[in-house]
Amino acid sequence: MAGKDYNHLFKLLIIGDSNVGKSSLLLRFADNSFSGSYITTIGVDFKIRTVDVNGERVKLQIWDTAGQERFRTITSTYYRNTHGVIIVYDVTNPESFVNVKRWLNEISQNCDNVCKILVGNKNDDPSRKKVETQDAVRFGESVGVRVFETSAKENINVEEMFMEFTHMVLRAKIQSQNRAERERERERDTVNIGAQRDRDRRKRGKKCC
Amino acid sequence: MLLFYIKKEHAEFISDIEAETVGTGIMGRMGNKGAVAIRFHFHNSDICVVNCHLAAHTEEYERRNQDFKDICSRLQFRQLDPTQPSLTIMKHDVILWIGDLNYRISDLDVDNVKDLISKKDFETLHNYDQLKRQIDEEAVFVGFEEGEINFQPTYKYDTGSDLWDTSEKCRVPAWCDRILWKGKNIKQKHYKSHMALKTSDHKPVSSLLVIGIKRVNEEAYKKTFEEIVRNIDKMENECIPSVTLSKREFHFKNAKFMQHQAETLSLFNDGQVPCQFEFIPKPNETTYCKPWLTANPPKGFIAQGGSVEIDLEVFVNRTTAPELNSGKQQIEDILVLHLQRGKDYFISVTGNYLPSCYGTSIRSLCQIREPIQDMPQDLTVPEMESCGEKILDIPKELWMMVDHLFRNAIKQEDIFQQPGLRSEFADIRDCLDTGMPDSLPGSNHSVAEALLLFLDALPEPVVPYSFYQQCLECCTNANQCVISMLPQCHQNVFNYIAAFLRELLKNSAQNRLDVHILSTIFASLILRSPTKQDLTEKRKTQEFFKHFLVHGSSQ
Repeated sequence: MAGKDYNHLFKLLIIGDSNVGKSSLLLRFADNSFSGSYITTIGVDFKIRTVDVNGERVKLQIWDTAGQERFRTITSTYYRNTHGVIIVYDVTNPESFVNVKRWLNEISQNCDNVCKILVGNKNDDPSRKKVETQDAVRFGESVGVRVFETSAKENINVEEMFMEFTHMVLRAKIQSQNRAERERERERDTVNIGAQRDRDRRKRGKKCC
Repeated sequence: MLLFYIKKEHAEFISDIEAETVGTGIMGRMGNKGAVAIRFHFHNSDICVVNCHLAAHTEEYERRNQDFKDICSRLQFRQLDPTQPSLTIMKHDVILWIGDLNYRISDLDVDNVKDLISKKDFETLHNYDQLKRQIDEEAVFVGFEEGEINFQPTYKYDTGSDLWDTSEKCRVPAWCDRILWKGKNIKQKHYKSHMALKTSDHKPVSSLLVIGIKRVNEEAYKKTFEEIVRNIDKMENECIPSVTLSKREFHFKNAKFMQHQAETLSLFNDGQVPCQFEFIPKPNETTYCKPWLTANPPKGFIAQGGSVEIDLEVFVNRTTAPELNSGKQQIEDILVLHLQRGKDYFISVTGNYLPSCYGTSIRSLCQIREPIQDMPQDLTVPEMESCGEKILDIPKELWMMVDHLFRNAIKQEDIFQQPGLRSEFADIRDCLDTGMPDSLPGSNHSVAEALLLFLDALPEPVVPYSFYQQCLECCTNANQCVISMLPQCHQNVFNYIAAFLRELLKNSAQNRLDVHILSTIFASLILRSPTKQDLTEKRKTQEFFKHFLVHGSSQ
């Protein structure tokens, strides 16, 4: 394989309350392993994994952030240049689900137009489940975010979630490329009409967006 | 010429077809001798077919060897990917080499040869075949194979007949026309000549070869490919720089003004690569930590398996003390330790600061009757004002130091000229901040220095910044009027210090002080410039202050 060994490079960010399993999801997806002992992430970590999406090599650089409140302002730096954000809550901890709103807010303050996905982790023991699937789905629909329920511990739905999210991010990239392409074509079409009118048109175009 | 046919059902598995020629004839370049070749990719095998015509004449077998070598080196196929180097014949999995190689039968006269041919004793005749000899000597076609020749020599006939050459040259018959191959899993089914064709002085030869081809098992390929990708990813993940930290939380207990406290953070490089570390600023901040904190070294390099010790030092000076004293700032910070091309670690620094009269304003100190450290931390100044208690004329801490010096050091030689001791300063500071003893600890020189430090650490100097310019303007006359405009407590402090210094000057015979020395020392503390001071300005401040040492105050 010569040169670049991938077609796309995406930076993904995992956020959510402390102790919902952000690092475990990353470890499961990147290393296919799980550690039962809990180590708080104090800082920011990342791992990479390359996946195949419709024959295209997509390299994912996945950033795992500290969930603790006291680090919130620092972790906000890491939203920059992110293609997708994974918001994680713990299905056995309703508070972490309630806080999803705050995390969504955090995203809207730090990035514009980024792909998002909501992930309810620790979904492996029905007796301990406190956040019902339908509630999460209803909430997800209301904010326009897809919901996945996973278990990093039991390796349930983790691969599927990351793969689906990668598809979403790739689709978004292709769509925005197409849009930019159409935009360029439109500009080419109008180039001969005269500079002044061309400028006016662009101004108008901006207003209606 | 080389004609190459492919069965229809195989066509879809053929790709990367290229054809090339190379001349080895006259001047070593012309096309009367040389080779034509075609290459292609069939399933997952690269196949090359070469047809050549090598140099003629019985004795020229070395020339033929050289032609072969030239063809091998000079015949190069372009690749579809222009970044890839071009392909030579020998780079292929399967090579079929055919043509009029022109190797003869030598060391045997023509009659013997013909006799052996008529007896069909080809085996004996093989011993005299130049090509077989040259191959055995590894002089040519190294690695190539050829099937058993069970047909009579194919050269040279009278054209249009099966008769050996009847010309006067009467050439010795030879197996000029050959088929050789190189590659794995190749089986020859037959190898024969075709006597029925009479259009040439050669008889054509043909061979049927069954060639094993590498075919991709799509499923296994995908699986293996995925595995390789996972392994590469794994390697990349393992090569992300990583360190372990001896501690993530640092607590500095009872930090004090001008008192150095340090803790050690050890970084151990537990990754598989050397790493470069650096403390980086947090969002919207220009420095990596608060001004009372430093990390030493703030960046560096750690070899794989190596470690580095970083000193985290807390030092509160006159710049940082005011906000810590007033409780606007706490000993609290988060450091971001960044590894180049790697992760970031957050390090929490917490602690408590013991407020001090050093770095507290004159106004605030005048409102505090108790030692500053007995005050509840969150009590703010305006609240105290509302208590209605009478405020002090001057800060009691200032009085304690000046009074101590007045009583003990009025005749001290070189007072204010000799430095004090650091450790004694710490005792004096603690004494001022925690209690009201009758006398201060330490030598006179230490108390004198503590007084200078006190003036230096005032957030607002004795002559407040807003009055600085005015004092410069009237440095030669009517000084008193400016001083009388200062806030009352500042005015008191100014007059108190000036009066004390005049007392000192009365004993100049013993303490060896003069107006010049004292105005130089004190003017820079009492009249601090809000901006950078130049030399003329400095002189003016000294001039201004000298006036009070000489003439005294009218009050």
